[in-house]
Amino acid sequence: MYLTTPLNQHPQLFFPSNPQPQRTKNMSFVKVHAKLNNVMEITSEPKSFYELLGIPETVSLFEIKEAYKQLVRKYHPDVSPPDRVEEYTQRFIRVREAYETLSDPMSRDMYDKDMSKGLHFAFSPRRRSQNDESMENKGEWKNRWNSQLSELKRRNAYKDSDTNMSWGARMRRQRNEVSL
Amino acid sequence: MAVSSGPVFRINQHPTSPYLTTPRFHNFTRKKFLVKASANGSDEIGGKIVRNKETDSLQIDFSGEKPPTPFLDTVNYPKHMKNLSKLDLEQLAAELRAEIVYSVAKTGGHLSSSLGVVDLTVALHHVFNAPEDKIIWDVGHQAYAHKILTGRRSKMHTMRKTSGLAPFPKRDESVYDAFGAGHSSTSISAGLGMAVARDLLGKDNHVISVIGDGAMTAGQAYEAMNNAGFLDSNMIVILNDNEQVSLPTATLDGPATPVGALSSALSKLQASRKFRQLREAAKTITKQIGPQAHEVAAKVDEYARGMISASGSTLFEQLGLYYIGPVDGHNIEDLVTILEKVKSMPAPGPVLIHVITEKGKGYPPAEAAADKMHGVVQFDPKTGKQFKVKSPTLSYTQYFAESLIKEAEVDDKIVAIHAAMGGGTGLNYFQKHFPQRCFDVGIAEQHAVTFAAGLATEGLKPFCAIYSSFLQRGYDQVVHDVDLQKLPVRFAMDRAGLVGADGPTHCGAFDVAYMACLPNMVVMAPSDEAELMHMVATAAAIDDRPSCFRFPRGNGIGAVLPLNNKGIPIEVGKGRILREGERVAILGYGSIVQQCLGAADILQTHNVRVTVADARFCKPLDADLIRTLAKEHEILITVEEGSIGGFCSHVSHFLSLNSILDGQLKLRSMVLPDRYIDHGAPVDQIEAAGLSSRHISATVLTLLGRPKEAMIVN
Repeated sequence: MYLTTPLNQHPQLFFPSNPQPQRTKNMSFVKVHAKLNNVMEITSEPKSFYELLGIPETVSLFEIKEAYKQLVRKYHPDVSPPDRVEEYTQRFIRVREAYETLSDPMSRDMYDKDMSKGLHFAFSPRRRSQNDESMENKGEWKNRWNSQLSELKRRNAYKDSDTNMSWGARMRRQRNEVSL
Repeated sequence: MAVSSGPVFRINQHPTSPYLTTPRFHNFTRKKFLVKASANGSDEIGGKIVRNKETDSLQIDFSGEKPPTPFLDTVNYPKHMKNLSKLDLEQLAAELRAEIVYSVAKTGGHLSSSLGVVDLTVALHHVFNAPEDKIIWDVGHQAYAHKILTGRRSKMHTMRKTSGLAPFPKRDESVYDAFGAGHSSTSISAGLGMAVARDLLGKDNHVISVIGDGAMTAGQAYEAMNNAGFLDSNMIVILNDNEQVSLPTATLDGPATPVGALSSALSKLQASRKFRQLREAAKTITKQIGPQAHEVAAKVDEYARGMISASGSTLFEQLGLYYIGPVDGHNIEDLVTILEKVKSMPAPGPVLIHVITEKGKGYPPAEAAADKMHGVVQFDPKTGKQFKVKSPTLSYTQYFAESLIKEAEVDDKIVAIHAAMGGGTGLNYFQKHFPQRCFDVGIAEQHAVTFAAGLATEGLKPFCAIYSSFLQRGYDQVVHDVDLQKLPVRFAMDRAGLVGADGPTHCGAFDVAYMACLPNMVVMAPSDEAELMHMVATAAAIDDRPSCFRFPRGNGIGAVLPLNNKGIPIEVGKGRILREGERVAILGYGSIVQQCLGAADILQTHNVRVTVADARFCKPLDADLIRTLAKEHEILITVEEGSIGGFCSHVSHFLSLNSILDGQLKLRSMVLPDRYIDHGAPVDQIEAAGLSSRHISATVLTLLGRPKEAMIVN
């Protein structure tokens, strides 16, 4: 059963000087800790590589490596408890995938972009190809200019308020008065 | 067999009988019903324009005759495009591409720039209402699609020909051409002028300027954007970015890597991970603040945008333009969406839409070529191979480049500067030999001149290779930075005189006038390619003052070249006599001397032997030569391919100051007429200007009192 929390239930306010939001992601699930802690069972599927490795998104390569090593020690088929070999092997493979994607800066970037668009290719990461990259670039572009357009529209609403003293604004106000 | 690949909605269907009845024809599945099951997975829509399923784009088959263009045939003016659907517009764009390729294949001209903006043109004309809405094309060589869509399709076969369509937008030609173009970077300035005029006159049309990333390297574009941001008048600037900053003909191997910091800013428009998170946070804040405190929200937005938006966009934001983009410039749907949204806002102020296109898109040979087939002569549509006429001589540009290379081999202080015209000035060859000594400054002639001046102060020998008409843009720098300080900068002015198909915008009519009036400048002009090589050497040798030389477009006449293409400096201020005669002397300046020689041959058949002299120098004039000619002849005719105020004026001034005009001498000057000569074949232009051998010999005969013979000279 997935824990569903509504978006931004506990939003954190961050000002530009401190751009380190914690885990305000649009994921809602239980955090997976990379502790050798058998008590804390995973009750829901981790939805991203970061989740899987139990690290926040902003970590450096070193921390990724550390997390990976820990998990590998835990899930390697040779050291896993015999009754859970299957499951652990699966997890091991996924952890490996996660590490491969996140350790390479370019693929990590691509993965992050996918995540920002709400696409979760967590366990079937796309192979990077020229076409893919350009297609995904274009998708991201579309998001970006859509949001730019909506911001412009909003700005539009108060653009010609009396406080705006630019030449253009004054001319527009004049014209609007005349036409009224 | 009709394949229905999507849901087909049926009305009144019996719920228990699935899909046994034949599908009824419905409009919205029209496309699917035209689908034929074809083996290669593409759907034939019309003629040879097929939709490629994998890339979901239309591909044109260029292997045979021009494909039929059913949609384009229905569009004569932009108002015929208003009712087309997005799919129809795509089809129209494909047909437009086919039309452009086949048309330019027959006439020659600029190919790939037009292909790159086909989709943008279609979107603009669909959304806006030209001619009330003003669409201004910067430079204008990408306006072929625009011309086709605005009532000039039937004349496309006359493109660039005498009395045919102009190669660039021209106000005289059509009301849809809002502003004449040819030199770059003027569109935003003109657009702002039109927007401000609209505001003052109380009108409500839209103004759209389309400018390319190459033209963005010129200062005028920033001057205009700065002013636009300040005035805050409604206008749309579309930045057509095809990553070809500096024309793709810049080096012999293809486009130069972008010329400056600006283009790397343009190319790095991606949000990084940190910024994405920041944007999320910022969105949260503004959501919480809510719509009431819109000003605070706006401020937060502004800061967030400033911080989160990509590094390139902040430049435009700082100048006061609202940045939207990047946008895929080949996706008509996206373009139409954005344009319609911006059009519908009453007060957006100046908006910049950053559109990414690919030069030559849709025509594989152009996409693959190193120079992207920017400017072409007639070619074969199937392969893209151009039918270059084999000439026994090279062009003046190539001779110039050759001789400059030879000079630079001997003297390592020689450096070359050009303004984004590596191919046009021949300096791409120089670049190959001396990559560290060739500087491409982008479309920035003013900077190029002062940059050369700076180089000269340190003892280097800069050669500034800028077209005669483009140097007009850097004229103050020539006067103030070079001539006033007497710095030894050498100007190699290519495309001097009439230039043929490019028309008056590129015509180098004024360089003699504006160079020769400067006190310290040495002004010279070669009459053939060998002289050109000698003058390059002369310029290299003149180290105490600025110098310049002009040469025309076209090929050499076959003169005997100096050994190893290395010129020998000629004595400054010394002309030469080419033919001896009596009574009549013709003194020519520059390549027009060849026409003078032609005239001498014609006159020979009328039993008149004339003296023909090549002045070589306009400044300092060869005083002895002129005095001799004046003393020994009754009639002196001076000829130059330039405007009034140039060589001929200097000669007449000299003669009057030296009392030679007080005597029996009959002096006539033959210069370009006091009007702009339209584009056309070079032969036609010379005829229109009245400077052909025919005209010169007719003038002589008239002066000799034989006017009837003058009239039948051919």
